[in-house]
Amino acid sequence: MLTGLAVVGVARFLQQRQDFENATARSYQVEIAARNRLTEGIHPATARTAIVAQQHKRQALRNDIDGETRDTALLVGAGLIAGLTGAALLFSGLISSMRRPLEELVGASGRLAGGDLEARVKVGGLSETATLGAAFNEMAGELQRRAGERDQLETMKDEFVLTASHELRSPLTSVQGFAELLMLERDKLSPAQADTVEIILDNTRHLVRLLNDLLDLARSDAGRLTIKPAPTDPAPLVEDAVRTMRSQTETANQTLHFEIEPGLPRITVDRDRIRQVLVNLLTNAHEYSPRGASIEVTAARRGFAVEIAVSDDGPGMAEDQLEHIFERFTRGDAGLTQHVGGTGLGLAISKSLVELHGGTIGADSTPGLGSTFRVLLPAEQAPALGEPERVEV
Amino acid sequence: MTTRVLIADDSETILLLLRTRLEMEGYEVVTAADGVEVIELMHSEAVPAPDILLLDAMMPRKSGIDALRELRAAGVETPVLIVSAHQDEMDAGAATDVEVSGYITKPIDFDRLFACIAELT
Repeated sequence: MLTGLAVVGVARFLQQRQDFENATARSYQVEIAARNRLTEGIHPATARTAIVAQQHKRQALRNDIDGETRDTALLVGAGLIAGLTGAALLFSGLISSMRRPLEELVGASGRLAGGDLEARVKVGGLSETATLGAAFNEMAGELQRRAGERDQLETMKDEFVLTASHELRSPLTSVQGFAELLMLERDKLSPAQADTVEIILDNTRHLVRLLNDLLDLARSDAGRLTIKPAPTDPAPLVEDAVRTMRSQTETANQTLHFEIEPGLPRITVDRDRIRQVLVNLLTNAHEYSPRGASIEVTAARRGFAVEIAVSDDGPGMAEDQLEHIFERFTRGDAGLTQHVGGTGLGLAISKSLVELHGGTIGADSTPGLGSTFRVLLPAEQAPALGEPERVEV
Repeated sequence: MTTRVLIADDSETILLLLRTRLEMEGYEVVTAADGVEVIELMHSEAVPAPDILLLDAMMPRKSGIDALRELRAAGVETPVLIVSAHQDEMDAGAATDVEVSGYITKPIDFDRLFACIAELT
């Protein structure tokens, strides 16, 4: 009877794994199809929603399978306890020889349910407990093998992105380099030819940006995103980021102001990386806001931290959109007249980078009135900041 | 006197690009397809010694980093700029504690490259 229960448990476990993997594979297929549509510009808003929905779906599937695996392990464990109690009344002599292996099984089930994939039992004793032990070990082995495969796939994915981004860089260097070469002789080109080269250059720079973003994300996933922090005066950092964006905002007739509180403490940051975060926030403000919009950057002291905020009076975001803004490939809906050149990765990377610094990033927005992004970075020798929730001002 | 630059990259297109831009700036250019050719050129009597080397970090047969290490071991002190695809390679290069005069990333920022060469020669 006990063996039967365990076999049922193991069979149920294997079936659930199979269902989980089939459903996950289907979800990936749907997401890939949506990504292709997005690339081709077919109903991009729907495609984006589909991508996010599939990502959530897979997360839910993972949560389910983790829960079910635990349930299965507990079922086996519970069956054992029930069997143990019943048997104790009937075969008190027999029970003493069964107790130790069964208790061991219950203990191992508990450890397995708690995530210890190396939990195994010694197989021996009565034939029932021995069979049960072997079945348990088989189930645990299968669990561990699948988990190992999943980790291996993740590593392969990270390696692939790193290699691909390396291999793509060489041809991109040529395309960009030769287009720049043509632009050096712009006066020998017709205006239409010069415009064409300009388009090639624009798109190449966009590709480079996309590649850098993908690389940063892969590094972040592989735990290899690193920073080299040094004590830094926030004021020149903000001024530098603003200067970088000046020509783009002027072209769009947008005003770009900054206000830096005097006497700010130094922050311990990787200058290039925080500059990247600020330029990303400013680029978003610029690209999502209409012509003539106003963008403002402020830097102010907040206790043991310095807060740098980027605000715009653009279209803003609704609550449901705001929730997902720091997730990958999430992009706000821009007006039809706006050209948005982002990769949908900028905010996800910014969040990783700010958190690597022990800081936090958050956003609030009112549809029709604009958005504000706040980056909070610990001042030099400040105590560590708390969880992101505490930062909302 | 014209500054002589030895460039090495396994991509012919990149070599053409580098050669064209450098020659437009008035440099004299010698090219190599990998680290093995770099070493041969550096030891060749027929080729005048370059004032600076511009080596791709990753090349078949012998990488730029390996060629650099070999040259330094042989007592060659010519400045060497390493061209690398991304930060990870630069970190890897820096970890080899062989003396590099500077790093250039791809896609190449030519203004920065010319400034580096001018500073080192």
